[in-house]
Amino acid sequence: MSGVRAAAVLGALLLAGCSIPSTGVTGAGQAPTGVAPGPTLYFLDDDGDLQPRVRETGSLGTVADAVQLLLVGPGGSGSRTGIAETSVTRVVVTTSPERVTLRVPLAPTDVTAAGVDQIVCTAWASHVQHGGSPRATVVIDFTIPTARSARPRTCPLAPEP
Amino acid sequence: MRLRPRLRGLRARLVAASALVAMLSVGAAVWAAAASASRSLVDSYERQVVRSTVDQVSAVAPTLTYPPDQESLDRAAGAVGPDAVVTFRDRRSAAEARTALVTDALRGAVRTGDGVVTQRVRVPEGAWLVVGVPVLATAPDGSARPSGVEVFVVQDLAEVQDQLDRMTRTVVATTAVTLPVAVLLALAAAGTVLRPVRRLRDTATRIAAGDLQARSEPRGADELADLTRTVNGMADAVQDSVTRLQRLQTDARRFAADVSHELRTPLSTLSAVVEVLDDAVDDLDEDARESARLAVAETARLVRLVEDLMEVARFDAGTARLQLDRLDVVEAVRRTLHARGWLGEVDLRVPAPDAQVWAVLDGRRLDVIVANLVGNALTHGARPVLVEVRSEADDVVVVVRDSGPGLSADALEHAFDRFSKGDPARSRGDGTGARPTPGSGLGLSLAWESAVLHGGVLTGDNDPEAGARFTLRLPRAGAGS
Amino acid sequence: MASVLLIEDDAMLRRGMQLALSRHGHDVRVAGTGEEGLAAIETSRPEIVVLDLMLPGIDGVEVCRRIRRVDDLPVVMVTARGDDFDVVGGLEAGADDYVVKPVQPTVLDARIRAVLRRSVSSGEGVRAHGELRIDTTSLTVTLQGHVVPMTPIELRLLLTLSAAPGRVFTRQQLLEEVWDHDYLGDSRLVDNSVRRLRTKVEPDPASPVFVQTVRGFGYRFGPV
Repeated sequence: MSGVRAAAVLGALLLAGCSIPSTGVTGAGQAPTGVAPGPTLYFLDDDGDLQPRVRETGSLGTVADAVQLLLVGPGGSGSRTGIAETSVTRVVVTTSPERVTLRVPLAPTDVTAAGVDQIVCTAWASHVQHGGSPRATVVIDFTIPTARSARPRTCPLAPEP
Repeated sequence: MRLRPRLRGLRARLVAASALVAMLSVGAAVWAAAASASRSLVDSYERQVVRSTVDQVSAVAPTLTYPPDQESLDRAAGAVGPDAVVTFRDRRSAAEARTALVTDALRGAVRTGDGVVTQRVRVPEGAWLVVGVPVLATAPDGSARPSGVEVFVVQDLAEVQDQLDRMTRTVVATTAVTLPVAVLLALAAAGTVLRPVRRLRDTATRIAAGDLQARSEPRGADELADLTRTVNGMADAVQDSVTRLQRLQTDARRFAADVSHELRTPLSTLSAVVEVLDDAVDDLDEDARESARLAVAETARLVRLVEDLMEVARFDAGTARLQLDRLDVVEAVRRTLHARGWLGEVDLRVPAPDAQVWAVLDGRRLDVIVANLVGNALTHGARPVLVEVRSEADDVVVVVRDSGPGLSADALEHAFDRFSKGDPARSRGDGTGARPTPGSGLGLSLAWESAVLHGGVLTGDNDPEAGARFTLRLPRAGAGS
Repeated sequence: MASVLLIEDDAMLRRGMQLALSRHGHDVRVAGTGEEGLAAIETSRPEIVVLDLMLPGIDGVEVCRRIRRVDDLPVVMVTARGDDFDVVGGLEAGADDYVVKPVQPTVLDARIRAVLRRSVSSGEGVRAHGELRIDTTSLTVTLQGHVVPMTPIELRLLLTLSAAPGRVFTRQQLLEEVWDHDYLGDSRLVDNSVRRLRTKVEPDPASPVFVQTVRGFGYRFGPV
């Protein structure tokens, strides 16, 4: 009789072990991000300081979208830009968690130092809003590279690591 | 339960225990493996679903108008998958999904926006995986807050369950195949343990049945071999003692037989010369006459003692043989009484004045039995002594009863012992009469053995009316028939 | 009264028994061994031999057998053991009766007298049964015209049985009538004497016509 009972218990255990039970609510990692009314673009105010401004396009869009909008210029918003006007706004973006690489249709001479910061901060902000690391660096590939142009840069407004 | 009695034997218990242990071991190992496999299977499936959902959501989020309109929600749901629902506040995507399985707990956890959450829900139709994904809105400074867009994916786990079921069936089948093998192995193991036990039991049975030579060969150096050696040692000891006792007993019996045998020739001489002496007593003075009479009486007593001892030796040696003859017991008893001059002293009762009771008996031994019983009654009991012969079914019955106070319980118990105290021979015989009064201290014992040799019985008790009563009952058809 | 030859190896018993039997009126001669005994039979021609079965040299059974081979001298044997083996051996060797040690002289005397007791002439003449003729006057038996020598016991047995042809005698009756045993005796005496009688008077002892066995009861004579 004990043998029969043991066998029954064993069978029940076997079957129970192989069916999927209910569970409670379990965490399963970080939530995704990326929704926003529009990308944040960095222009310069009258003092030449970097000024973030949300361009309400309806959605966040890609890093390339954000940089292209930056290249298009501030429009009639009263802000200024340190980036020369260009008819070609096509930007190619490669991202890894710690680095964003931009290939821009500009020569280093087309961009002031503040303009470089504008590009770096816009790409960085978009990268962060997509869920990227706030410590990510940005590398800009100009059309005519110089010795120092391709170094990793950080946005001055980014929080100190 | 039918199983219970079968489990009584050592073999059955060993087999059952071994099989149970084997089954439990196999079962536990298989169960642990299966449980772990099933957990990792479900977990990896779940991780896969979560990753793909998060990837889809991550991909679609930047393209999502914010705050989203109905069209955006529908598009997002479509992009995530057919089991997905996307909500924003009280709006939700239109596609059908089993949102009924989304529990309040999960919905609450998603609302706090801490991260992706999952929950497995088991309903009668099967198991489902619910994934809740809050979509965050991240500011350029890195601070994130719930955007209010939430994605729920309800994934059917039937496929995983199918895989698990297949695995379970394999496990059960494997266990089922293992069980008979385990039982066979257990039987074999039980056999190696039980074979020496059975040999030992057979040996013990033979020893108990009297075969003191029986031994088992101890094999190996285990506990059973120790036990076997112990039993053998015990049997040796028993055999030694029994042999010694038997030798002592045989020696004692042979000694008694030899002594009585050796006494016969000098006793014959004594008998011869005291008879001559007896004839001459009249010529002797008073003392010499009395001495001569004592010599005659004691010689007669010695003769009876030796004759009885010879009969005892025959019984002890198993050489006592019945000399069967067909005879009339009434007539035989009458002759026994007549020959000893007792006809006038006892009351002989027979079924009818001219009755005959025929039986196949050893006439000489019947004479000895009756003479012993009557002599005993006359010497020890009070007269009148009653002797009754009758026929009862297949037996002939001879009852000898006196009119004395009867026998004590102790005397009754030992009435048939050799040299019992109740026997007349323990008291001094009177030494008179042509036929000596039976009694050597062995008379009743020999009477009892003679009755048994005839296939009959001799019993002693007290008659409720008067005196001691001895009842001899012998089969009329002769011993053994 | 009778001349007895006592063959007994124990000197004390021999002398004691000689004294006692002499008191009973017998003329007792003694012999210490079987050889001596056989020689004494030749020289002194006793009427009866009392023979101890346990003898040095040739034993009592053999002595008895040799006595029987030459004549019908009655023999009473004395057995030391009273065991079946001795009794049967002695009776088969031809002894007429036996006593068991310890021997009571009165009992032995009674046996000697019974064995020696001559049948009394009944005077009724000759009983003829086929080729067997029993002359009850001269107490002689002839078979096919030849005289059959017999011991007194054998003759009395034949006379007792043939006196009432067809009547069944139990062994106990025969023991009383023929051997003078006053109470239960050894029926093997009867059986052995009947066997010896048959070898003397039956044309074919294996299928007797004169002395017939009645199984379970005893013996009867004829019917012829």
